[in-house]
Amino acid sequence: MTAPEVQPKIPFIRVFGLKKSFGTQKTLQGVDLTIRHGETLVLIGPSGEGKSVLLKHIIGLMRPDAGRVELDGVNLCTLRERQLMQVRRRMGYLFQNAALFDSLTVAQNVAFPLKEAGVRDKAELEERVHEALDLVELSEHKDKMPINLSGGMRKRVGIARAIIGRPECVLYDEPTAGLDPIVTDVIDLMILRMQKHFAVTSIVITHDMSSVFKIADRVAFLKNGVVYFDGTPDELKNSPDPEIQNFIAGRSGMKA
Amino acid sequence: MDSAIALLALPGQAMIRFLSYLGQLGLLLGELWQALIKGSFRLRLMAQQLVTIGYGSQAVVIVTGAFTGAVFTAQSYFKFKDFGMGSTIGSVVSVSLCRELGPVLAGLMVTGRVGAAMAAEIGTMKVSEQVDALRVMGAHPVDYLVLPRFIAMMISMPLLIAESIAFGMAASVVVGLAAFDIPFAWFWTHVRQHTNLEDVSFGMIKGFVFGILIVIISCHQGLVASNGAVGVGLSTTRAVVFSSLALLIVNFFLTMLLNYFFPLGTAL
Repeated sequence: MTAPEVQPKIPFIRVFGLKKSFGTQKTLQGVDLTIRHGETLVLIGPSGEGKSVLLKHIIGLMRPDAGRVELDGVNLCTLRERQLMQVRRRMGYLFQNAALFDSLTVAQNVAFPLKEAGVRDKAELEERVHEALDLVELSEHKDKMPINLSGGMRKRVGIARAIIGRPECVLYDEPTAGLDPIVTDVIDLMILRMQKHFAVTSIVITHDMSSVFKIADRVAFLKNGVVYFDGTPDELKNSPDPEIQNFIAGRSGMKA
Repeated sequence: MDSAIALLALPGQAMIRFLSYLGQLGLLLGELWQALIKGSFRLRLMAQQLVTIGYGSQAVVIVTGAFTGAVFTAQSYFKFKDFGMGSTIGSVVSVSLCRELGPVLAGLMVTGRVGAAMAAEIGTMKVSEQVDALRVMGAHPVDYLVLPRFIAMMISMPLLIAESIAFGMAASVVVGLAAFDIPFAWFWTHVRQHTNLEDVSFGMIKGFVFGILIVIISCHQGLVASNGAVGVGLSTTRAVVFSSLALLIVNFFLTMLLNYFFPLGTAL
């Protein structure tokens, strides 16, 4: 048996010294991070430490106070909004609250990125919407309005919308928060499948440690506005740092 | 000493805030221009906005125009009849409706109805990250949200004002005939003699300008909304207040400017 061929891991997204403050609150204080083509990076860390803010910088929704984000060597922070629109078509993004358009049906929401990319053929649109909704097991709800869906269902529609354009990279902001364990597993497997079959690069924010060990190629632990730990899931598990061990095990140190 | 300086700084800070606000409106106008020449037109959205802004505002604008025409006819008659000029009021009413009352009152009503809705809808999308969702999926918020509203407003506003003026005149005729027994022929002759195409152009040009003001101010308020439901409420209130005030202030300067091109009284 021969060992699997080692793919050269080319840097795809690189974050250099990213700083961002909101008023007096310094959220990011110099984040350095590299995401390689085809890998799944999981971002973990305490709430309110800027994981979502980092993700929004990577897709250019926010402008940093200092530092830069490069995608394939192109500095996103100096691009104008209309130039960014082209770059963003290579990416998919799942918002923490799904951010579905409440004036459109589920199917119209999912079809939105395709229509924006210029797909006009009705049959193709329908087929791809069906395919995307099938992946998140929501095909039968395609004609509902978002307001009539549960929180978990909305999130799954958001995932379908993020992946329908077959992006090179998908950014997930807590894809499994609020979902039951079975659906969580479905979503985890879908992220793995997309990586395996389409070589999709993924950046996933999650608080679900079992998901971390299931899907991550690499884990970055964000704390106090910097990357506190960056390594493989095994390295994370075996880290001697008590801070990390407490986070993995969910120990607050408080007494009941 | 410190408090004196702080007191002096207050008007300065207010001025800076005001200039920065004007700058933001200017940037949005520039972005709208970019959208017009580079952006993608979305006919379906434009049609939806035409229905909401144009078709949907008709009742409000008709009632406003009709009752303004009626009350203005009555008030003019009460005074004019003292000079034995009761039958000439048609000219006063028609020129006033075309130049001022039609555009301004219709503009204010559309601000209340449409400007508030724009700020509330876009503001809700902003605070629920739907505006960011548009950006993520490669749709520019100005292309998707502001441009359709702008074009719909540019088409609707002059028509709504024309409708308001027409119903104002119709009401004036009815009141003149029914309440004050002014013979229609006399009434109408005065209207025709003293109302020019310039007077109508005056109102239509004002319609375009008011339309731009309402769209830019209201959409801007929506796009900068933050802080959840409270923020959307604040943005909606501001959209109506700022648009109304801007409309009234700009109206004065526009009257002075337009009167240079279309002087009142050439037909006399």
